[in-house]
Amino acid sequence: MNNYNTIVIGGGPAGLACAVKLHKNNVSCLIIEREQYLGGILKQCIHDGFGLQRFKEKLSGPEYAERFVNEVFELNIPFIVNAFVVSIEKKDGYTINVSTVEGIKTYTCENLVLATGCRERTSKQVEIHGSRPKGVYTAGAVQHLVNVDGVIPCKKCVILGSGDIGLIMARRLTLEGVKVEAVYEIMPNPSGLKRNIYQCLVDYDIPLYLSHTVKRTIGYPNLEAVEVMEVDEKLKPIEGTEKIIECDCLIVSVGLIPENELAGRIGVLSDARAKGARCDLDFETNVEHVYTCGNATHVNDLVDYVSESGEVVADAIRDRNDSERKLIDIEVKGRCAYLVPEMIDVNKKNNKRVMYFRSNKILKNATVTMKVDDKEILRRVYANLRPPEMERIVVDYPELSENSKVVFEIEEAK
Amino acid sequence: MKINKLNEKLNSLYNGKVSAKEDEYSIILTGELESYDDILNACNMAVDKKSHKYVVNNIKLLNEVKEKIRIPSINDKSLDNAHPDVLVIGGGISGTSILRELSRYDLDLLLVDKECDLANQASSRNDGEIHPGVDLKKGSLKQSYVVRGNRMYDRIAKELYVPFRRIGQYAAFCEWWMFLPLLFVVLERKYICGVDDTRLVGRRTLRKLDSRLNHKFTWAISNPMSGVISPYELTIAFGENAVQNGAKVSLNTYVESMDLKDGVIECVHTNRGNIYPKLVINAAGVFADDVAEMAHDRFYSIHPRKGTIAITDKKANYLINTISSVQSVKKNKNHTKGGGTIRTVHDNLLLGPDAVETRYKENFDTQRNSIDNIMAKQTNTVEGLKRSDIITYFAGVRAATFEEDFILSKGKRTKNLIHVAGIQSPGLTTAPAVALDISKMAVEMLGDVKEKTDFNPYRKGIPHINEMSLEERDAYIKKNPDYGKIICRCEEISKGEIIDALNSNIPVETIDGIKRRLRPGMGRCQGTFCMPLVAKIIAEHKGIEIKDVCKSDEDTKIGIRNKGENE
Repeated sequence: MNNYNTIVIGGGPAGLACAVKLHKNNVSCLIIEREQYLGGILKQCIHDGFGLQRFKEKLSGPEYAERFVNEVFELNIPFIVNAFVVSIEKKDGYTINVSTVEGIKTYTCENLVLATGCRERTSKQVEIHGSRPKGVYTAGAVQHLVNVDGVIPCKKCVILGSGDIGLIMARRLTLEGVKVEAVYEIMPNPSGLKRNIYQCLVDYDIPLYLSHTVKRTIGYPNLEAVEVMEVDEKLKPIEGTEKIIECDCLIVSVGLIPENELAGRIGVLSDARAKGARCDLDFETNVEHVYTCGNATHVNDLVDYVSESGEVVADAIRDRNDSERKLIDIEVKGRCAYLVPEMIDVNKKNNKRVMYFRSNKILKNATVTMKVDDKEILRRVYANLRPPEMERIVVDYPELSENSKVVFEIEEAK
Repeated sequence: MKINKLNEKLNSLYNGKVSAKEDEYSIILTGELESYDDILNACNMAVDKKSHKYVVNNIKLLNEVKEKIRIPSINDKSLDNAHPDVLVIGGGISGTSILRELSRYDLDLLLVDKECDLANQASSRNDGEIHPGVDLKKGSLKQSYVVRGNRMYDRIAKELYVPFRRIGQYAAFCEWWMFLPLLFVVLERKYICGVDDTRLVGRRTLRKLDSRLNHKFTWAISNPMSGVISPYELTIAFGENAVQNGAKVSLNTYVESMDLKDGVIECVHTNRGNIYPKLVINAAGVFADDVAEMAHDRFYSIHPRKGTIAITDKKANYLINTISSVQSVKKNKNHTKGGGTIRTVHDNLLLGPDAVETRYKENFDTQRNSIDNIMAKQTNTVEGLKRSDIITYFAGVRAATFEEDFILSKGKRTKNLIHVAGIQSPGLTTAPAVALDISKMAVEMLGDVKEKTDFNPYRKGIPHINEMSLEERDAYIKKNPDYGKIICRCEEISKGEIIDALNSNIPVETIDGIKRRLRPGMGRCQGTFCMPLVAKIIAEHKGIEIKDVCKSDEDTKIGIRNKGENE
């Protein structure tokens, strides 16, 4: 009994929501999770604020995950943990080889859902130089050490990047008695959610320096200090602004990247803007019967949307028929950082479709439009658009053809 | 150059601040200068290849802050009163390969290194190329060993269970008119220098070999015998095989001083006790001249030269299958080919290294401009290479002498000493061949040494789960479920492999020790996900708390306290 209609790779919030919905849609499915427990990265996110949209409640990460995990248990949805996908073969559907503690297991399925989440950019990827001392971590790694292992890694830390995890760790470490010297952000604006700037920094008197970056680490084998510099509008460090900040830990929170290693191996294309797997409005990728959802598609800032995309996939799989797909690209214009999904299957009915986007700049009174063959099908005016805050829209597409030209645009107020 | 002529020159350049004198073995420079570049310049002027004398640099740098060498904080007596036949100082590729060669004999062997692991300095901070030797002119020691060393690698890699691939090196040129001069070089290297795999290949062959090499390349000097290996895995493998054959390795062991009597080293003082060796082999890398000084036999100087290397994501490996580099007709003043683009044995791309003189022997700082320079050159080697493909970078320090050659010699003034010094590129390639000769030299010096009958050249390495067929892998997991539990998702390393490494005969129970043996933390996430998991496995294995697991040295615990505990 190793054949399922659908296999969901990844037991985090996207995969769990997808599996639960699949089950409710009477589609057989199996969840494959590489870690010891279901729940994905939520296991270490013990701060609150999860599920506000979905449950109208402020939950912690593990509590949010628990709601789905309980459903998985109650509905008897099959899952395996400590299970690592070694290879995927495509023949009459998909054959998936998995490394487990019981041996290599092989499963087959018709549909494959890649809910593999994302990973953090590292200090090297933002070109922090030095001798690779102990004490330089990503925010997620510190979060694991503190919240899962109960290990406090330092006395005095500097945080680079005002992304949400960095801000949350600033507060978390302060509460654990660590002195957080400052948060430095290379951009002229904070990159985390506004509520996190207030709840994590302002409330704890942690200074935030914008247009600053960490250039190098000092010390070996232990970190002793970091060199901080101001940057100009082009983000180039300004000579003469060097400051040495003593610390025994540098935490970098400089962005997340969708994990698409498995996807790439089976020919799924990534989007240059969103960095995740390209997909149509069903979140089906360029490879037939392979779906993407959650942070593997694009990095969300709210878990509620991660779960939502998993459910969209579950419904799409239920409704999947064997009609031929005809994909067209949506053209993106103006101040848009990315739009997800990026493609449309014109052979499908595409009414009331959920889409997500971000602006690439702080905009006031920005106009967002979706046009089909120069005809506006959606128009919204936003008083504020900020890159850290993802926006969700529902688009009702008319009947489309292969030659339809679909254009999404964000315009600045003139 | 005669010494008075050199002094005249130094005088006119540095107004009498530097002077030279010579003895039987060396040309010794003393004085004081304001810049390190001037010191290097003065020493390079003193190099006289004809006299076979070595330059000793005793010139002081004005207002210098002396480099503080990292030394282990342990102080115990674990080695006290040891009487090894041979004491090898230095656990790099030279020291370990010699130790392994010596372990064929019935000898009491001890290797010490001040670092917390083998291959902690230059032997883990290089490009891992098994060189063809095509860049070396006849006449140097390194040239005389390079081809021999290269050809030994198939056997060495097999015996020591270390992955090795001969992927070929291509030194490529853009200029059409270079055909004749290159042909001349190729013939000379092939027939006179003995680099018999050297060939000249044209654009079409190059394109066939590696379609993404710069399309402007017209000719390349090709050496199909060039290969790649993981230099730190090899160093560790040499060490482990030696230990398997009875040798002893003591890490975190710093040689502080030596007692000599009548030109013989009687006692070597370390932080772990006094050692009384019959013979000392100085394979201390950048510190070889310091060790020579302790042994009253400093007839050469090391001037450290830093090289920086960048590593790309495996995703970029479709760009190249070989070791390739763009060559420029202009002579490169730096003592390196300027680096290349190399497909490593683990299928990342390795870019570099560059070469920058540094005053400090443990200067492992990387700098942005090094990466700039490497990228500027390597984007000319391979089309489509992107800076954003880089996942990490690091620097190593070459142990160069002013003569730019190896020193493989008995002590000049000290009797029971062998120097294996000035080992820089292609020191990894030459190591097995050098080890053969040095071990013979050592055996001769010791006299009356028997070969063992039970020497086992085969090291049982850790199985590479991710390279096995599914059936093989399944069988392994059935025997030990830990092989099924993947800890490092980027490099696909299992818990079982990590425990194997912790149970090896030179166990280094640190995050970096495991990383160096198995690669968790070397992938695209750089340990973000697996570091805490590896720490947990180490903690369980050692029976300590996670917070007390070290990254590298003994004072690099990952936690300062547990949650809820006061400072």
